[in-house]
Amino acid sequence: MKSIGTRVAVWYGSAATLTLACLFVAGYLLLESQLIHGLDLLNEAGFRQIEAYLGADYRTLSTPAIEKRIREITDYASTLFYVDVHVPGVGPIFRSTNLVGRDIPDVPGERNFTVEVSGIGELRVAELHKMPFEVSIATPLRPVRDVMAKYVKVCLILLGAMMIASVMIGLGLTRLVLWPVRVMRDTANRIRSDNLSERIPVPEVRDEIADLARLLNQMFDRLESSFVQIRRFTADASHELKIPLSLIRLHAEKMLVDGGLAPAHREAVQVQLEEIARLNRIIDELLFLSRADAKALKLDLKAQDPGALLQAFAQDAAVLAEDRGCRFTYEHRGEGSVALEAKWMRQVLLNLLTNAIHASPAGGRISVRSVLSDGLWRVAVEDEGRGVTPAERERIFERFVRLPSPSHEYQGSGLGLAICKSIVELHGGRISATAGANGRGLRIEIEIPALSTVEAPEEAAVPKPLIHSSGELLH
Amino acid sequence: MKILIIEDERRLGEFLQKALSECRYTATWVRTRKEAADALAETPYDVIVLDLSLPDGDGLELLRQWRGSGFNEPVLILSARDSLEDRVKGLDLGADDYLPKPFSLEELLARVRSLVRRQSTAKHTLLEHAGIRLDLLGHTVQVNGKPVDLTSREYALLEIFMQNHGRILPRTLITDKIWASSYDVDTNLLDVYMSRLRAKLEGISGRPLFKTVRGVGYQLV
Repeated sequence: MKSIGTRVAVWYGSAATLTLACLFVAGYLLLESQLIHGLDLLNEAGFRQIEAYLGADYRTLSTPAIEKRIREITDYASTLFYVDVHVPGVGPIFRSTNLVGRDIPDVPGERNFTVEVSGIGELRVAELHKMPFEVSIATPLRPVRDVMAKYVKVCLILLGAMMIASVMIGLGLTRLVLWPVRVMRDTANRIRSDNLSERIPVPEVRDEIADLARLLNQMFDRLESSFVQIRRFTADASHELKIPLSLIRLHAEKMLVDGGLAPAHREAVQVQLEEIARLNRIIDELLFLSRADAKALKLDLKAQDPGALLQAFAQDAAVLAEDRGCRFTYEHRGEGSVALEAKWMRQVLLNLLTNAIHASPAGGRISVRSVLSDGLWRVAVEDEGRGVTPAERERIFERFVRLPSPSHEYQGSGLGLAICKSIVELHGGRISATAGANGRGLRIEIEIPALSTVEAPEEAAVPKPLIHSSGELLH
Repeated sequence: MKILIIEDERRLGEFLQKALSECRYTATWVRTRKEAADALAETPYDVIVLDLSLPDGDGLELLRQWRGSGFNEPVLILSARDSLEDRVKGLDLGADDYLPKPFSLEELLARVRSLVRRQSTAKHTLLEHAGIRLDLLGHTVQVNGKPVDLTSREYALLEIFMQNHGRILPRTLITDKIWASSYDVDTNLLDVYMSRLRAKLEGISGRPLFKTVRGVGYQLV
């Protein structure tokens, strides 16, 4: 069962019904014993009546006379009593007509007992002594059983009604009790990085739910303050780091531009400037990632056809690949629109291309395939390098995990793919790594949901012209 | 040419004031919003260099107030906040240019010159230097009278150099103009384009035209 309300209502209903059932069972037992006790009293009264009819002189009477006397009274009450008189060790003296010749069985040692007599049914028997006779006087149990059956029927109906009523009441009550919880859930659901200052209304009464609301609000307070701290840290860190960096750069550059340095010093200053640029890039990347983690980064997504973006990218990519002696192929199929921020997507593609170029052997082919169809924009960047092992593939999107480079000269910051992942996820997409087409190399694929795609008819799905690394168009 | 520098960081402010003075600008340096307002009330400036984090308030807020009161001097924002948001916000509020820290002095100078130029002179349609002739209307390039075929990126690159010939152009300034991104990508894309452009132009002109200033940028000599 999904809702606590339903569960609690069912528990409540079951408990209430079970309690009632126990009461009914107790009532049943009590009523039954009372009714049977009544029968015992009745049997006793019947015996007293027989005793009265027999009179005080019964010992002097003959058997037929005794039988006659008893029959007078028992026939009169034949619907009520079954009577069996016998002398122990001798045999029966009298049997009432309604016994039709049957004995009332004896249960030794019991004065009042219940027996089943075939053809008559259940009887409540009282065994009494009127020396020298043993008188068994019995009353049918049937009326008692009828009453009990009716009692059971009424109880079952009442239990059913109780079950339904208590579940309904339970549902109503839990709804009432859980209402503040529902309010909490809705509020907590609304609280995101952009409205962290919203709080759950705390009920005025001081109960467990109010405590819970207070606790949750305290948690949101802490969350908000750490979130604000992250944001402030990002701003402070950039401020604190970039001012000294600016000064170093300005002074180093001034030395270089002013001239008059010995060649060795000149070289040293140039290295400094390059390392400053590198340091700055790493700071920017770390700040980017920390802001992306904190969801403090908002992209300016605009609906656009990725074709134009890819075309411009392919132009630069071909030039870069050629410079490194790699072949570059590019293909884009399909039309439609995707919510993108071009600047960041270009960054992703350029990072992937840079990795591919550094992984490629001389003359290796780097391909970029983009397909826009079925509501999805998929771009795959593939190289023919050494590739990475499946175990490494799992980790390459983590921070500071570097891809193996055949040249060993290239040392990226180790943040490129982590940034790609962040950017793609900020576009609502995902990024994955697989082995290249023929088991060689690495293939990184990006998938971003498209706003709309124009499904081209089959025959029109001809690949767009490939741009070869030389920049010429191949048809 | 008068420049007002609003920068709260002492060492940076001093450096900028000194460096700009050396380039024959009259540079005034103030450290707070209040001092800036006083300085502006006293005398007009040609360019204002504004740092965003000031001790007595946000630089963006100051800019909004200025623009709201009809003040239209060109403003160049300096910011340690790397975020794109600030850049967009700053330009929306009427800043004319934006430079993230750490920046290069050459880049600051180039941007200041470009702000001054935007104000004073009309754009040329024909640029000529060192035997290169660049026709902005016809999108054609000639070196020593011979037409040269350039790709769109090479053309855009050459145009920036022709408009700033003789000056060192920092890498970030160039990438910002061509790819609308000052984020220094871990690629040598600019170097590759530069070597292609060099090969095409210097092959005809027969003498070196571009100078590489390592760690800074390039210069059309």
